[in-house]
Amino acid sequence: MNLCGRIVEKAETDETLYQRGVFADRMSRADPIVRVEDLVKVYEPNVRAVDGISFHVDRGEIFGFLGPNGAGKTTTIKVLTTLLRKTSGKAVVDGIDVERDPGAIRRIIGYAAQEVGVDEDLTGTENLRLQCRFYHIPSVEIDGRVRDLVKTVDLEEAADRPARTYSGGMRKRLDLGMALIHRPKLLFLDEPTTGLDPQNRRALWDYIQSLNDSGTTIFLTTQYMEEADRLADRLCIIDHGRIVAEGTPATLKAEIGADVIEVSLKANGNADVRERAKGLLAVLPGVREVRDYEDGLAVYSQSGSTLLPQIVRALDGAGTEIERLSLSVPSLDDVFLRHTGHKLRVEQVKPASRTPYMGFGPRRRA
Amino acid sequence: MVEFLSEIGAVFGRWIRKTLRRPAFLFFSLVQPIVWFVLFTQAFQSISNIRQPLPGGGFLTFADFTGTDSYLTFFSAAVIIQTIIASAMQSGLGLVADMESGYMDKMRVAPIRRFSILTGKVLSDGFRILIQTLVIVALAFALGVQFASGFAGLLLILLLAAGFGIAWSGISIFIALKTRNSEATLMISILTTFPLLFLSTAVMPKAFLPEWVQTVATYNPISYVADAFHSLTITGFDWSVLGYAGLVTAVVAGLTLTTSSASFRRAVAG
Repeated sequence: MNLCGRIVEKAETDETLYQRGVFADRMSRADPIVRVEDLVKVYEPNVRAVDGISFHVDRGEIFGFLGPNGAGKTTTIKVLTTLLRKTSGKAVVDGIDVERDPGAIRRIIGYAAQEVGVDEDLTGTENLRLQCRFYHIPSVEIDGRVRDLVKTVDLEEAADRPARTYSGGMRKRLDLGMALIHRPKLLFLDEPTTGLDPQNRRALWDYIQSLNDSGTTIFLTTQYMEEADRLADRLCIIDHGRIVAEGTPATLKAEIGADVIEVSLKANGNADVRERAKGLLAVLPGVREVRDYEDGLAVYSQSGSTLLPQIVRALDGAGTEIERLSLSVPSLDDVFLRHTGHKLRVEQVKPASRTPYMGFGPRRRA
Repeated sequence: MVEFLSEIGAVFGRWIRKTLRRPAFLFFSLVQPIVWFVLFTQAFQSISNIRQPLPGGGFLTFADFTGTDSYLTFFSAAVIIQTIIASAMQSGLGLVADMESGYMDKMRVAPIRRFSILTGKVLSDGFRILIQTLVIVALAFALGVQFASGFAGLLLILLLAAGFGIAWSGISIFIALKTRNSEATLMISILTTFPLLFLSTAVMPKAFLPEWVQTVATYNPISYVADAFHSLTITGFDWSVLGYAGLVTAVVAGLTLTTSSASFRRAVAG
């Protein structure tokens, strides 16, 4: 895909190449592009949307914020993109404090919000040209940039039609193109694929990946674990305004280190039954850990499939009825569950990584 | 400075383009003054026959007060003012729509001055109103209105219309940013426009108005602008009337634009 080979060619300096090389880790740790410490945002009267989070984004990486709606993802992005004033804490983008010099930050960042911000009355080309003017791009360069971007975001045929006539995926691509017009060093994508069908989602993933390959640092929020898993080099899991876990998708999943068996009990509401079941399961051979979660118990084990019959036997013997059993290899959803005690709920396009069933043996693995 | 002007130009151009892409708006902004001209000048034709008795006997006629015996000529000013206000009242709606659609955030993350966003918008409103006024003047001319002040007077009419339009769009922006609601903004605009128009000297010479209306009209900024339009249409250049109109417009503009830009700054501050 030719995406952004052109867009970000300027960003592809020796410096970024160096950072993406062998010493990337050491270099970037010394000088992250985003540094956030104890960030708090309270909406009046008293909603702590972001409740004391700290994290950093390294240069050249795709950094992900994974969390459900209302977790504080958009609020954090809005503080970093100078759209929202923080209540307290520190937020620094490329060495610049967000409240000291927002103008300087605006010149180096791109932002594609969850709702697309295109002017429906204008054509794709006109939207892009206008964006050039907002970013003070010299008029001699405007034609070339717009032409390249139209090609990049694959809107050549529709470029001269009003954006009103565009499909959801086309609007999203135009919006992304608008965010890229000034070749930003750092691109913020707030739930870039929410509301897209699987095909458009996959295409956008490829775009994002190739953008990153050509040197743009990307800060992305998502409520889809599949998306975080696939795109993010490193991610934070955020829930209720707090960061509950941080790491690469691989290390986060490795922390779980085992298969996850979810056991729902018929008498789930009964604390005694639940506690008794928990005690029974914890002592089974091969069980590493048993945790509560809203629907029942999560059993972590190295060898889930051999454990299933034992779980059924143990609970059956104690007269505890099982509502539902499911087994999965660790996914980010399990990481989320482990750290928050509940699951990431997404209404649409649920990845088929876990298949609930009654009976024995794993059906399908992610 | 060049950057600043280029920003304003970009925003200005965007709004003009958007207006042109809305044929319905263009159509109605053309039809509305025609309807006004036809309805009012037909229904109120006999207004110009009104006579006011003098204490010592005899009468003062419509022409004695206004300088013309054609109500159509007198009424042109009212059509212009009605159009200015109706058009200016749309102004805030565009900004609220931008805030709802997310386009405002697109501008806010760009290194464009906040002041340019508002200035470009308001100037585009002024320009649109200028063009609409030109259309009405052409229409009036076609209907037989003779403009006493000629070409120079016509330029003054356009200038005053644009200036007063900008002043009035400040009100719309203020209301729109306060309510964040298009329907409410339009309702408030209609509810204020008509009383203000009819409680001014725009549709009726002052002497023919009941006493309390005369008092209201004296404090109604629309009267001063209407007087200027009347003068330029009927009698020619009356510099004291034009001076008052300019002054009143400047004061109204100063008030509405400072309050609306303050609420705009607050709205985009985050």
